[in-house]
Amino acid sequence: MDRTLANFIRALRNSEVRISTAETLDAFNTMELVGYKDRGFLKRSLSLVLSKTEDEKQTFDNCFDQFFSFDDIHGARESKAANDPDGDASVGSEGSEGGESGAEGESSDRGEGGGTGAGAKKKKPQFTAVEEEEEDLGPGETSNAQSALGQLLMNDSKVELSVTMSLAGEKIDVRDIQVFTQKGLYTRKIMEEMGLADLNREISDLREQGQVPARRLGQELRRRRDWLREQVRDYVEKQFLLHADTTGKRLREELLRKVKLSNVEHRSFRLIQEIVFRMAKKLAALHSRRRKTYKRGQINIPRTLRHNMAYDGVIFDLHWKSVKIDRPKVFAICDVSGSVANYARFMLMFLYSLEAVMPKVRSFAFSSDLAEVTELFERNKIEDAIAKTMRDYGGGSTDYGQAFQDFKKLCLDDVDNRTTIIILGDARNNYGDPRAEILKEMYDRAKRIIWLNPEPRNSWYMGDAEMRKYSAYCHQTEVCNSLMHLERIVGNLLRTV
Amino acid sequence: MAETPKKIEQLTASVDSIRDAFEKHSYICNDQIATAVYLAFHLRKPILIEGPPGVGKTELAKTTSEMFELPLIRLQCYEGLDEAKAIYEWKYGKQLLYTQVLKETLDEVLQGARGFAQSIERLHEFGDIFFSEEFLEPRPLLKALKEENGCVLLIDEVDKSDHEFESLLLEMLSDYQVSIPEIGTVKATREPPMVFLTSNNTREISDALKRRCLHLYIPFPDIELEQRIIKARVPEILPKLRKQLVSFIHELRDIDLKKAPAISETIDWARTLLLLHTDSLDPQLVRDTLNVILKFQEDIENVDAEITTLTSKVLK
Repeated sequence: MDRTLANFIRALRNSEVRISTAETLDAFNTMELVGYKDRGFLKRSLSLVLSKTEDEKQTFDNCFDQFFSFDDIHGARESKAANDPDGDASVGSEGSEGGESGAEGESSDRGEGGGTGAGAKKKKPQFTAVEEEEEDLGPGETSNAQSALGQLLMNDSKVELSVTMSLAGEKIDVRDIQVFTQKGLYTRKIMEEMGLADLNREISDLREQGQVPARRLGQELRRRRDWLREQVRDYVEKQFLLHADTTGKRLREELLRKVKLSNVEHRSFRLIQEIVFRMAKKLAALHSRRRKTYKRGQINIPRTLRHNMAYDGVIFDLHWKSVKIDRPKVFAICDVSGSVANYARFMLMFLYSLEAVMPKVRSFAFSSDLAEVTELFERNKIEDAIAKTMRDYGGGSTDYGQAFQDFKKLCLDDVDNRTTIIILGDARNNYGDPRAEILKEMYDRAKRIIWLNPEPRNSWYMGDAEMRKYSAYCHQTEVCNSLMHLERIVGNLLRTV
Repeated sequence: MAETPKKIEQLTASVDSIRDAFEKHSYICNDQIATAVYLAFHLRKPILIEGPPGVGKTELAKTTSEMFELPLIRLQCYEGLDEAKAIYEWKYGKQLLYTQVLKETLDEVLQGARGFAQSIERLHEFGDIFFSEEFLEPRPLLKALKEENGCVLLIDEVDKSDHEFESLLLEMLSDYQVSIPEIGTVKATREPPMVFLTSNNTREISDALKRRCLHLYIPFPDIELEQRIIKARVPEILPKLRKQLVSFIHELRDIDLKKAPAISETIDWARTLLLLHTDSLDPQLVRDTLNVILKFQEDIENVDAEITTLTSKVLK
């Protein structure tokens, strides 16, 4: 029993529900109280103990249904078998048979008497169906199967079959399955472990024999072998869902974090977006706490008096006034011309996902002319806003001089000593006037200017790049071309303000 | 007194009995909520309730206290809430008086003492009650622990409090005790309180706190459940109108609104309609009473254009 729950918790963790050891213990206590009898009750109870956000509850529900699916399938099968008219019996039972193997695997895994007993009973409809088919081929005796797996198949002992199947699964470590392309491989491995080679040999031997019973056995065995393959595939599928679904995904995410953002393919955008949101959420959670600084030299009189009453009114335990630190005010200036557009996309996404901790982001986009896009982001969803920004401002040839001039005109007055300006661009100015003096002005007013350049540092000073002039007026210059860089920079930004 | 625990035992025998008892107190709930209360009682764990505003999070705690006939102690959280307001405070005035009394009797105590060391010794013998329970002013959390027969403790809107306060709660939630540096640890009496925490999710509650609680999410109810709630809360309303207004609210919830109407708004609306002696919805009436269910001008303007379609859809 306990192992089932432990396995279930493992599957939950695999689907990114975070469960601590303490919660596992709680789950065991709950289990003791609630028992396995009432499925809905169990589900509701475990959901209270194990999943702690709305999203997690959703995941939990799916996972629970998948993991403890046997009950429902038994019920459905029962009614299906009863309702099916005789003619359709073979189709009906064949279909539901597929679902059962998973359940069988589970219940034998748990070694629970009730589940397996029910499974053996369920075997009946399928059995009769096969016999009917046999009559079509011509009735008669079949000889006895020789190979171990053949005997098992002909015995119609589903319990034993599924036990062998899960044992084989354990042996080849089916739980280590990582990506979905391995499903075929593991299916074959399990079949081989169960003695497929012997069975195949027997089938081909039988085909060459003259006697009818032996040939009939051969046909029958082949049919049952194919059926078994289906079962094994189902079993592997289920193991994959429970144990590997996310390992493959995590692998891909890990890669995407490190890959250069300009090389990201369009189909990965969704996944990247997910990663960005998750990173942002992590940062937000880390920094959502507002810190206090103490105003040195200013006494909080009411507090001090109250605390010193205990000392007969003699004031020696002083309490100071404090202020809560404001969240950083961020201006993001993004080059959205072709070469850097992708970086801008993800940076904007990141900044706006951090709304909870950085409510005061203003953003500007330019390729030659600069314009504020803050409002776009306020009114639209992040993805739409980014798409619109790209459409309206992207595509021109880059002119940093013009952009800085526009910025000066537009909102240099709003830059104060609490503002952090982030400029994202490759500083390639097409040999135009860099207007570094405007950047100097910004540098003087702002708290910090951070220049993020997607190019590697050694090409910063080559060709038409103006980085040498600009970097003189930046507090910080960073290479930034992957999600990992972005996360580090924004994390630092939140930490130091 | 001995009967009370027996009654509680009876009530908490199964999920169904809890649900029925809730129903008797006109709190209609689904199995999930009843299960949460059942588990909370038997596992002695606090419940953290989340969900949109107005779905009956606070009401659940209130009804539970009514059902068990236990006192309800409520702690409303806000930014800046600290231990002095949540756990305990010293009675400064009395302490001040005490020191004055002490000063007057000091001569008696120290009479005949020779040398500084001996005086100090005498002082220690005199007994230090400056920081003792006599001068302790219990605040909600401490009060809940001291309640003899147990109680229901409601920590409302815990997401509004500071992070520091959350950590303050941890000891209380996991061990039902609080530590007062000057006195020591105060443990719960025989019956630890049943703790309900509510949150509107304005910020993420820390993992440490979540780990110690059962987590109950109350969503908006489905049509059938909401009708039963209205029936329990506003029994005078006609079944036909009840059905109409509940389905109207459900239509509204599907529209993208700044604040979707919650159960409490549905109840208010039902009361309003009852007051106006209506027996069926019509567009003009809806338009006139829209401000009962929608709390933003923007939302009202958005919905205004749709009212006719929505009403006819509901009336069908």
